[in-house]
Amino acid sequence: MEFNNNLPIYIQIMNLIKSKMVLGEFNGGDKLPSVREFSKELKVNPNTIQRGYQELEREGLVFTQRGMGTFVTQDVDAIKNLKKKMADELIDGFFKEIKKLGIEIDEIKKIISERIEEDKE
Amino acid sequence: MIKYMKYEIKGTYKYILGILALVLILITGIYTYISRANRGSHIGTIFIGLSVLVLFGTALATFLYIVGSFRKELYDDRGYLTFTLPLTGNQIVGSKLIVALLWFAILGTAIAMYNIVMALILNPVEVNLSELLSMVSHIISMKEIVVIILGLIFNGVNMLVLIYFSMALSRVTFRNKRIGGLWFVIFLILSGVIAYGQYNVGELLPYYVDLNTFNIESMNTLRHQLNMGINTGIMMSTNIAASIYSIAITVILFIGTGYLIEKKIDL
Amino acid sequence: MKNIVEIKDLTKKYFNKKALDNITLNIEEGKVVGILGPNGSGKTTLIKILTGLLRQTSGEAFIDEQKVGVYTKSIVSYLPDRNFLYKWMTIEDAFNLFKDFYSDFDENKFEEILNFMELEKSVKIETLSKGMHEKLNLTLVLSRNAKLYILDEPIAGVDPVARDQILDAIINNYNDKSSMLITTHLVRDMENMLEDVVFLKDGNIVLTGNAESLREEKGKQIDDIYKEVFSQ
Repeated sequence: MEFNNNLPIYIQIMNLIKSKMVLGEFNGGDKLPSVREFSKELKVNPNTIQRGYQELEREGLVFTQRGMGTFVTQDVDAIKNLKKKMADELIDGFFKEIKKLGIEIDEIKKIISERIEEDKE
Repeated sequence: MIKYMKYEIKGTYKYILGILALVLILITGIYTYISRANRGSHIGTIFIGLSVLVLFGTALATFLYIVGSFRKELYDDRGYLTFTLPLTGNQIVGSKLIVALLWFAILGTAIAMYNIVMALILNPVEVNLSELLSMVSHIISMKEIVVIILGLIFNGVNMLVLIYFSMALSRVTFRNKRIGGLWFVIFLILSGVIAYGQYNVGELLPYYVDLNTFNIESMNTLRHQLNMGINTGIMMSTNIAASIYSIAITVILFIGTGYLIEKKIDL
Repeated sequence: MKNIVEIKDLTKKYFNKKALDNITLNIEEGKVVGILGPNGSGKTTLIKILTGLLRQTSGEAFIDEQKVGVYTKSIVSYLPDRNFLYKWMTIEDAFNLFKDFYSDFDENKFEEILNFMELEKSVKIETLSKGMHEKLNLTLVLSRNAKLYILDEPIAGVDPVARDQILDAIINNYNDKSSMLITTHLVRDMENMLEDVVFLKDGNIVLTGNAESLREEKGKQIDDIYKEVFSQ
């Protein structure tokens, strides 16, 4: 995996895991790869992975069982909220950028519905 | 240190065995020619001349090869391994020294023995071995042989240590710049200085020990004995002060070399 | 936390040129630290002082609270930036030498890494390619359970496949009891493995810190910070 954007690696790792949760690749109660395995896979310092896991735990998305590993939360709402939050973030970004182009809200609506029609075909 | 000697031997034995094989073949050739071409054909003479030249060349090359094993540590990439092993400078120099002596001893002995064997085979003069031994022991006593061998070893150590020291010194002078042949210049100068010192020390304290009797004598009694023809055979005496001096110099040079390679060399 | 390396006011001069100019640096136990800088920035000089191949002009360097010497050599596992094995050796000979001289050498680990690197014990060292040399040297160095690993340009000049194997081997053998000091100018390939970074420029430390904090602070990857620092 290439870490190209401007965020610290641990945040990029968190985002990677979050998107897998949202997509259902990681389901509630699933065990995450061990820090060592993940570190080998991504060629990232294990301490960085560890930090990513800790932050995810703080956000309530994963939990650790001593000696067992780190698991995805079984709280369905938490995953739903995560999905909503991630979608919101994308839309925020979208609005921020498209408004820079001086496009009004009505026009945005029009562009989007046109695009949706196109995608359907 | 034994461990290091093991790898030193492993790294050089093929070359040494090769040299030994080459030398033995040449010697065989020489003996064969001598025994057959008694009338002295031209080709025979040329062959023998060439062989002797090759033998000298080989001897020199071997000497430089063995001695050069130390120099390689100072200039080649292998120094990165040698000088990061958990060994002191003295251990490294000591290993090199002992292995070099070992090779010289093996080569020298093997070639000498082979010569004797060849001579016996090709000149089948009836020799009674015990007679020969008694003849030899008449000329030279066992004690004298031991002293001569010890002397040879000591001189060998002395010279090798001086060479190693010169090489190490040439490496650290001029801020570790590589200057070809500098070590030889240093070697010559140091040899001169040391020999001069030894001579002076000997002159200053002219007391000698007779190695047959272990009596301490002055130069005058020694001369007297010589004139009287008491001391037959090989003169077996040595200047006490000069001997101590040269032992001390050898020890100092050895420790100095160890110190230089451990503390001063910039690789 | 305990420091495995303590460097104080370290200076190395060649004639009038300063290869290292009054460097002070501590490295904590268990950390993977990258020393970043272009060729000639003083990286190798620093490492050679720590491994006892070079003497400082002034200042001090301690490893595990000892001056550089026989003891520190026994706890430091050093990968030089060149082929340091004796030319007459086979891989087996090199293995025996390491086993003989380093009490922290782990035979099983060696077999494991050698296997991973796809190298054969019977091969003569002289016949190895550059990438294979680097892999073998790293195998030997990582097979020691050393307190400090010092890797000088571990991936310079090797092909991408060998590079990945080398990076994997380094990651696989990471443990929190030993520390690693890695020099490199190939920052992009290495930066994710580093916890702390030290930027060395003309013998001076121009920037140092935790890699993640620097990314956060500057909003950039270390590689981009590197380019910024050294393009001026």
